[in-house]
Amino acid sequence: MAFQYRLGIDIGGTFTDATLINELTGEIQVGKVSSTPSDPSLGFLEAVHRMLQKSKINPEKVGYIVHGTTVATNSIIEGEIARTGFVTTDGFRDMLEIARQVRPSLYDLQFEKPKPLVPRYLCFGVPERLDATGQVLTPLDEDALRKAAMSMRCEKVESIAVCFLHSYINPEHEKRAGQILAEAFPDAMISLSAEVAPEFREYLRASTTVINACIRPVVARYLQSIVDRLTAEGLKGELLVMQSSGGVLTFSAASEKPVFLIESGPAAGVISSTYLGGVLGYQDVISFDMGGTTAKVGLVQDGTPQVTKDYEVGATAQAGIGRSRGAGYPIRTPVIDLVEIGAGGGSIAWVDSGGVLRVGRQSAGADPGPACYGKGGKEPTITDANLVLGRLNPSYFLGGEIQLDIEAAHRAIKNRCADALKLDVVQAAHGIVEIANSAMVNALRLVSVQRGYDPREFVLMGFGGAGPVHANRLAAEMQIPITIIPMSPGTTSAMGLLVTDLKHDYSTTMIAQIHTVNPNTLDQSFSNLETQGRASLAREGVKEEQMRFVRQADVRYVGQSYELTIPLPSHELDTTEISKALENFHREHDRTYGYSAPQEPVELVNLRLSAIGQITKPHLHKLDNKNNEIGDAKKATRSVYFSESDGFVECPIYDRYHLGSGHNVKGPAVVEEIDSTTVIHPGYYALVDEFGNLMIAAHKNT
Amino acid sequence: MNPVDPIKFEVIRNALIAATEEMAIALRRSAYSTNIKTRSDFSCAIFDRHLRTVAQAFTQPAHLGSLVQLVPKAITVYGKQNIHPGDALLINDPYQGGVHLNDISLISPVYLNDDIFGYVASVAHHVDVGGGAPASVGAFREVYQEGIIIPPIKLVSRGEIVDDVFRLILGQIRSKRETAGDFRAQIASNNTGARRLVDLAERMGADAVDSYTCELVDYTNRRTRAEVSKLPKGVFTSKGQVDNDGFTTDPVGLQATITIDNDGVLFDLSGCDPQRRAPVNSTYSQTFAACAYVYKCLMDPDVPVNSGFYQSLRITAPEGTVVNCRTPAPVVGGWETAMRLIEVMFNALAKGLPDRIPAGCKGTICHAGFGGHDPVKQEYFCYLETVAGGYGGRASSDGPDAIQPHMQNTENAPIEETEINYPLQIKCYELIEDSEGAGRFRGGLGLRRDYLFPHTAVSFTVLADRDRWGPGGLFGGLAGRKASYLLKSQGKTTDLGSKTTVQLQPGDIISFRTCGGGGHGPPVERDPQLVLRDVQEGKISAERARTEYKVAIETQNWFVQQDETHKLRMEPTGS
Repeated sequence: MAFQYRLGIDIGGTFTDATLINELTGEIQVGKVSSTPSDPSLGFLEAVHRMLQKSKINPEKVGYIVHGTTVATNSIIEGEIARTGFVTTDGFRDMLEIARQVRPSLYDLQFEKPKPLVPRYLCFGVPERLDATGQVLTPLDEDALRKAAMSMRCEKVESIAVCFLHSYINPEHEKRAGQILAEAFPDAMISLSAEVAPEFREYLRASTTVINACIRPVVARYLQSIVDRLTAEGLKGELLVMQSSGGVLTFSAASEKPVFLIESGPAAGVISSTYLGGVLGYQDVISFDMGGTTAKVGLVQDGTPQVTKDYEVGATAQAGIGRSRGAGYPIRTPVIDLVEIGAGGGSIAWVDSGGVLRVGRQSAGADPGPACYGKGGKEPTITDANLVLGRLNPSYFLGGEIQLDIEAAHRAIKNRCADALKLDVVQAAHGIVEIANSAMVNALRLVSVQRGYDPREFVLMGFGGAGPVHANRLAAEMQIPITIIPMSPGTTSAMGLLVTDLKHDYSTTMIAQIHTVNPNTLDQSFSNLETQGRASLAREGVKEEQMRFVRQADVRYVGQSYELTIPLPSHELDTTEISKALENFHREHDRTYGYSAPQEPVELVNLRLSAIGQITKPHLHKLDNKNNEIGDAKKATRSVYFSESDGFVECPIYDRYHLGSGHNVKGPAVVEEIDSTTVIHPGYYALVDEFGNLMIAAHKNT
Repeated sequence: MNPVDPIKFEVIRNALIAATEEMAIALRRSAYSTNIKTRSDFSCAIFDRHLRTVAQAFTQPAHLGSLVQLVPKAITVYGKQNIHPGDALLINDPYQGGVHLNDISLISPVYLNDDIFGYVASVAHHVDVGGGAPASVGAFREVYQEGIIIPPIKLVSRGEIVDDVFRLILGQIRSKRETAGDFRAQIASNNTGARRLVDLAERMGADAVDSYTCELVDYTNRRTRAEVSKLPKGVFTSKGQVDNDGFTTDPVGLQATITIDNDGVLFDLSGCDPQRRAPVNSTYSQTFAACAYVYKCLMDPDVPVNSGFYQSLRITAPEGTVVNCRTPAPVVGGWETAMRLIEVMFNALAKGLPDRIPAGCKGTICHAGFGGHDPVKQEYFCYLETVAGGYGGRASSDGPDAIQPHMQNTENAPIEETEINYPLQIKCYELIEDSEGAGRFRGGLGLRRDYLFPHTAVSFTVLADRDRWGPGGLFGGLAGRKASYLLKSQGKTTDLGSKTTVQLQPGDIISFRTCGGGGHGPPVERDPQLVLRDVQEGKISAERARTEYKVAIETQNWFVQQDETHKLRMEPTGS
């Protein structure tokens, strides 16, 4: 029987989303169940169940089940990790304890350093030493290593991380250590730094390897339990797992290198933006995903999401923007670069001791939720403010599942904000929304302007339950010309799971001045990575013609410490190609940092290869053109507050499900659907495209 | 001014902070020297046209306080009328608002319609500024021996680097290529900040930004005073010292009298020693930074840092003392003194705020600086780093191990990166067992870091402290183990003291052993289970557990011997 469906399951903090796509028709169905944090696989199965029931399809027709999971991240944050041992070069066993030697908060006298994931008595220094060129200074002391293995065995260690100094350039000692440990202690899972993240800077490499080791048994058990249950349900499709850099891993690859899954949940939204943008002909997209607790912003350029290698697991965002260093556990595996700020529908507004209105960092969560949920919440939130401003429909929130209490929203804003500020409730509500918007604008600037991208050359993709309420306003502030609101924005993120390819990322350190590198040597190194990638993809059943290999290099001026990642052609390199890449680097440097120094020597640092196994993408479903009039979609009018109009304006309210291709919704207007509400400001209009996307732009003559 | 629009206020406030953070990212990412790019030894700030600081990026607290002093002085000295669009002023002169010579600031005026609208400034610790020893750290008698002194001068004039000036400065400096790159990074950082400030003015209106920054300063002042009102009122005094000055063993006496009243906090430092002909003199800017740091630690972390924060901070620091030196006193170790001053001030405040103040911390910047001719690269190399130590125990938690305290929050450089770039090997980098000050909550452990130069003769400088006395304990807690800085050469080990430059032969090793933090509360009151954990982790020996903490530990099966421990703890002390 031919596979016809692809199923995506995205487990979030509150809900588990299921998305089913019919590959023949492109038809998408979505569903939601409550998450089951104590055993996420229960929620997973429940979501699968419901989706199969609802769609009445034969489970055997599901070809792939793609999973986005926070199990890897959560196990670190909650400390539910395997008992792990750490083996390193003698003299350096405190690498994890010392970390970066800095405080995560500067003026807090009660600060704590993150607790090392491996207790000190399970950290072992073994005599061996390489120099910076990979030459052996001290041979590996195999007996000392066997002794360490015995100690770990006695201590009932489940998983072992090995990271020797300079192993990125010469992995022989690590490989030998891997063999010895496997012989001496066959039950342990072993992660070698030269395999997990073979890049220089020992603490970052060790930390990445240790995280991999700590979560490996946990993730492997979890994924195995899912596979077992899926099989029992009659699902024969392959389980694929979303990675933090976009792309999916097979179940077995994910079980071996779970560190690649850290932060895989939020990545899906950016992948969706990339895909939707691509289908609509936009290669440069800013992805804006606003949910209940946070807003996440990412940037896609030339159809490729921006990726960072400077990420810390478990680091809570500080006030303002950006992550503090030293607050979490760093990883060097690629993570889609997101700026996440505490501005979601449930973010709480308050007045500080200096008499200033603030929004976040506290969130009302799902329980009690915003005051207007009527579940006892007393704190005013962004959702309450939007309700007071008429932007949300009290009787059509989540399609009417929750009846919003506008009086409660009023009361909360009055008691907690308006009175203290001597403002009326509407002014205070508008203040709350605008302050949240300003924080989001700063996040948008951080991913675009700050990195040298001009937002006027991008489109804004607004989604998540709350995203479409704010997107138009943010685009106006940022002068982004077009805002796209996809159909059912609440599930856009989950759809990212269904449109991504199989992907393996490889890297190797090669430090050399670029003009001294022989193109053949470079080619050879890439070919070696490619061989590994080809083998992995072939094992996973990918046909040669579906394979794609993307080459990149981390490059910097000699003496710098931060590299820029520059794409290289995927075919054989010659000196002309290298000169082109070099020019590209100078240009990127100028764009990113505002200057370049073409006379300065440039060096290669790391080579990166992505091995991609392309899978068929679903088609977007086109709207049935019912030839109806836009008037048929208008379901009511409501008073909505706009500062541009200095007050409340009577606005048409449209039912999104009745809008047809080519309809032009003139702002001010509100478009409602079950999982979100789109606000179109005065001076703007939204054009409905053939897929039902709302394309918001400014009127030419205003 | 019209009534404050709370929305605009918050928008402008956040935008200013975001702009300084963008400056910091630009500087860090495009810098060349390890000290800036990896260790984050720099800071950035924005000033309004009245030369009041309105936003600062949080990197090194030391710089933040000092920039506030430096920028207005430098602009006043140079004269506003002599500045034009596209200019940038360079300065490190300790006696015109600066600190030690390595910290070089770049100040750029920001213009809007031909008028100065504000200033952006960055300060970075440059790895070398010339002078008597590589990395420009070392014990000298006069500031003139410490390196190039730069009064406020234009490095950039109307958008172009002034080439003659640039070459003159680089001519004095050992690490020319790195420093040239670092200057370019500072220029890039300032350009970023200036662009953001102009953007903001264009978006919100210059008048609005102007009046709202005034409101921001007032707001911060209000919040600071609200925080002060929660502090215990009174006069708190303490004494302490820098262990030696680098030329004599005579400790450098420090004294702080802190008065907290309804107007704010007064730090009276009148009792400190007269300045020395030795590298332990702190300029007023450095002392100001130390006091500002302590002041900020007493506040809710949410209070912004800008000119309004500093308004209620008062300092008395008589000229001619080690906390406000006069030219030509050497200043390279001024941060050592300022750092120890913080320890003295905290010790004083512990009497009023026993639950918040930690016991003695590393309390030294602890520089390791070296350089020489690299035979492979055929160029002069220079390197500087600072090594962490133990933090003091707190009222309800242990002092963290191996951490940078107080005004200093510089990262360690990866060993692999250091070995790739410089002709050395790090032989070991680990915690020092039993170095903690014992206490109910113990101090953090100190660090050992050994530097081997296998093939190269180098000049190596130790500029640190705590080599005579370890950080003190609080409320019955014991002092942490003192630091030592050792040279191992041809089978012999020499204790170098804490402020010296030595010429190393190939194969020599320098071993830094930094101090542990002081303990908080009597060690015999420590939870025996915590002692057990420390012994099991190898941080404390079973013997020390017995003698200092009076806890008996069975080290085969890892448990606390309850009866034995009870007996030990019942014994009268001093027996």
